Amino acid sequence: MTAALEPASADELAALLRNRPGRVRLAGSGSRRDRLPPADGAVEVRLHRLAGIQRLDAGDQTCSVEPGLPRERLDAALAEKDLELPCPGGGTLGGLFAHDPLGAGGPGNVAPRSLLLGLEGVLADGTRFRSGARVVKSVAGFDVHKLLVGSDGRLFAATLLHLRLRPRPPAAAWFRRAGLEVAAACRLFQALRAQPVPPAPLQLRRTADGCAVTGRFAGRAAYVGERLRALELPEHTPDPVDHLAAPAGGEVLAGIVLPSRLPDLLPALAGTFVLRGDGRFELAVASPAAADAALPQLAAHGAHARIAAAAPARRGRGTPLDPGAEHLLARLRRALDPDGVLA
Amino acid sequence: MLRPVSNLERELVRLLGAQRVLADPDSLLAWECDGFTVHRSRPRAVVQPESTAEVQAVLRLLHAGRVPFVPRGAGTCLSGGPTAGERAVVIDLLRMRQVLAIAADDLYAVVQPGVVNLDLTAAVRHLGLHYAPDPSSQSVCTIGGNLAENSGGPHCLKYGTTADHVLGALVVLPDGRLARLGDPAGPRPPGVPDLPGLFCGSEGTFGIATEITVRLCRDPESVRTLLAAFASMRDACRTVSDIVGRGLVPAALEVLDQSTIRAVEASVYRAGYPAGAAAVLLVELDGPESSTAEELEEVRACAAGHAALRIELASDPAERARLWKGRKGAFGAMGRLATDLYVLDGVVPRTRLEEALARIAAIGERHGVVLNNVFHAGDGNLHPNISFDGRDADQTARAMAAGNEILQVCVDLGGSITGEHGVGSEKLDHIGMMFSPTDLEVMARVRAAFDPDGLCNPGKALPQRAACAEVAKWPQMVARVLGEGEGPA
Ligand SMILES: Cc1cc2nc3c(=O)[nH]c(=O)nc-3n(C[C@H](O)[C@H](O)[C@H](O)COP(=O)(O)OP(=O)(O)OC[C@H]3O[C@@H](n4cnc5c(N)ncnc54)[C@H](O)[C@@H]3O)c2cc1C
Repeated sequence: MTAALEPASADELAALLRNRPGRVRLAGSGSRRDRLPPADGAVEVRLHRLAGIQRLDAGDQTCSVEPGLPRERLDAALAEKDLELPCPGGGTLGGLFAHDPLGAGGPGNVAPRSLLLGLEGVLADGTRFRSGARVVKSVAGFDVHKLLVGSDGRLFAATLLHLRLRPRPPAAAWFRRAGLEVAAACRLFQALRAQPVPPAPLQLRRTADGCAVTGRFAGRAAYVGERLRALELPEHTPDPVDHLAAPAGGEVLAGIVLPSRLPDLLPALAGTFVLRGDGRFELAVASPAAADAALPQLAAHGAHARIAAAAPARRGRGTPLDPGAEHLLARLRRALDPDGVLA
Repeated sequence: MLRPVSNLERELVRLLGAQRVLADPDSLLAWECDGFTVHRSRPRAVVQPESTAEVQAVLRLLHAGRVPFVPRGAGTCLSGGPTAGERAVVIDLLRMRQVLAIAADDLYAVVQPGVVNLDLTAAVRHLGLHYAPDPSSQSVCTIGGNLAENSGGPHCLKYGTTADHVLGALVVLPDGRLARLGDPAGPRPPGVPDLPGLFCGSEGTFGIATEITVRLCRDPESVRTLLAAFASMRDACRTVSDIVGRGLVPAALEVLDQSTIRAVEASVYRAGYPAGAAAVLLVELDGPESSTAEELEEVRACAAGHAALRIELASDPAERARLWKGRKGAFGAMGRLATDLYVLDGVVPRTRLEEALARIAAIGERHGVVLNNVFHAGDGNLHPNISFDGRDADQTARAMAAGNEILQVCVDLGGSITGEHGVGSEKLDHIGMMFSPTDLEVMARVRAAFDPDGLCNPGKALPQRAACAEVAKWPQMVARVLGEGEGPA
């Protein structure tokens, strides 16, 4: 990849793209660079200077932010208003949504796709456009903005994101139950997902030391306290894991799986494993051969996965995608970026 | 005299059998419009497939002949979405009404598109589960229609709209090809954009969903429903702001204005709302028992702080049903006020509700129209309804003019021209209030990725390319009086 360009505004970004800089790889702060397939010869266009909070409407519980805004800065601004963006994930906001590693959302877990109300964006040819709205509900026009989620910056660049917020819960407590067998951990995980207000985040982790289930109950103080007692969950300092690191010579697979498949699936997969309440998982394996062996096993259990952290040439390989969906994706790419500028 | 049978009809009969192909003009009457009865047109034919394979076979045939088609569920849409032009064939999906799978552990169900919204909840009730999106038409409308419209409902304030509950869809594309967008594991595999999210709200223009995977929700431990009556709409709106400002997230926050209350109380939907009140606010809280009890006290305090005339708590399910009866029957009740009802559907930021309602009232007065408001206050989703006599050209023109200005107010305040009813054919002339021709062109490109030949529900949701410049054209759209029964949310 050649040197980075760093536009400071949406206008600058649009002008830069209109000047046909060749192939472009969009990035926020660049924190996910090592998890994407290589983009040889592409110019990196970093959006970290578009980092403003354009609007924060506490009464409406919505905000509009630029894509380069770091998550921590938004969180700090929201905390002052007793609000939160109720989904996990770090880096810049643009990166969080575009690379969304998260799954379906699930009981208690809100997925980014539900929080993105609309956006302003720029197509690969520099055309600026809007989709969605700033308000919490709108069905006007097609939801082109939904295509940002999971696009890895390959369909268009977002220059302003309209987000839905939630009030911060009045009380919250983290817990952790460690030293569990796989079956017991899976049972606890499912029992927690079935709570009246399930913990969020919620994680099941398997390491060489066995399994642990960790999470956060939030809500009214009475509910939080009562749940911890009833389920005999020891309080613990917050320790959610966003991403696993690949062991030396190894790789990380990222994917989604139905939690009910876990008791059968997990014993068949070697390596450190993290599953979230929304069904998203990461698996760190010792070698590329182990990753290749895991993929068909995952597919056989209805899971979808791809190699995330690995040598560049191996990133992006994964369980097969439905041919119809693949066909549509190719058409959408041609429709929005006919010259294949965005890498 | 025998009606001539076209080649197309013959081919359709070959695929589905004569019973499931309707082409006789008289038998097509029931398909000539949806809940937006102003736009009427009898389709070329109606076919009633029963499986994905049959939908594929029909679409392949239509594609080969470049015949346009329109998917259709229960036809309750309020924006003309499933109304077909004369050349188009309606693909009626009501025979595809099987619940294909229920996974209680993983909280999802797979259904055919013709499954009625409320029937899905009925099918999972014994498991302590329900399907959360609850349009007021839920006893009739289908999951396929809900998906295509991204429908909402009173409880979407807390639980989100249809898009938040769709995990996947098996779609027959307009050329007959199949595409599986998402599945029970999630709406998108890693590294793939949110295709089901894009499909939701595409108003039947991207293809036909023949299997839909939706998320199921657990029934809440407790539900509390409270009604507060106020002497002014301002007090009701400020109570809403206070409730939200305290960090409470009710399941529903609904408001009815004075004229709606009067219409309800004079109708079979009578709910015992205080007839003298300027506004009533319905609040529903759900969740763990201990939480809803505390929250209820906070809501009570908010209402009392704004001089509520009366605060009433439903003490049992029957009382709860009574309090909701007035809200759910509000549109039926309004239908009695005049021959026609123009149901508007705009959104403003919740913080601008009071201002929006004042401006809407002024518009109503200026145009001399009868205007009632019933709305999802928590979402800022307004439904101003104009009662008028559609046989009177002057009344009709004034209703239309007022409606147009009201939607402009929503946009001016930072909102939207539609929160849940869609653009369809009704709002083609309003969409330019929100989006530039370039924005619409980008959307048209996305649509073309699904339907390059423009055969799938043409002329809906987006102005035709050439028509983008015609956004100033006056809309000719009126919703006829809805039948007795439930009204739009
Ligand atoms: C009394 C009343 C109350 C209402 N209340 C509400 C409310 O509270 N909230 C709300 O959001 N709406 C409401 N509506 C509007 C309407 O009920 C919803 O839009 C509903 O989702 C339409 O469902 P349907 O089965 O009737 O679909 P239809 O009206 O038949 O079709 C709607 C659209 O979906 C497309 N479509 C249908 N099936 C498919 C499929 N399988 N694949 C692809 N496209 C398809 C059609 O082409 C059409 O464009 C109300 C309407 C009425 C009449």
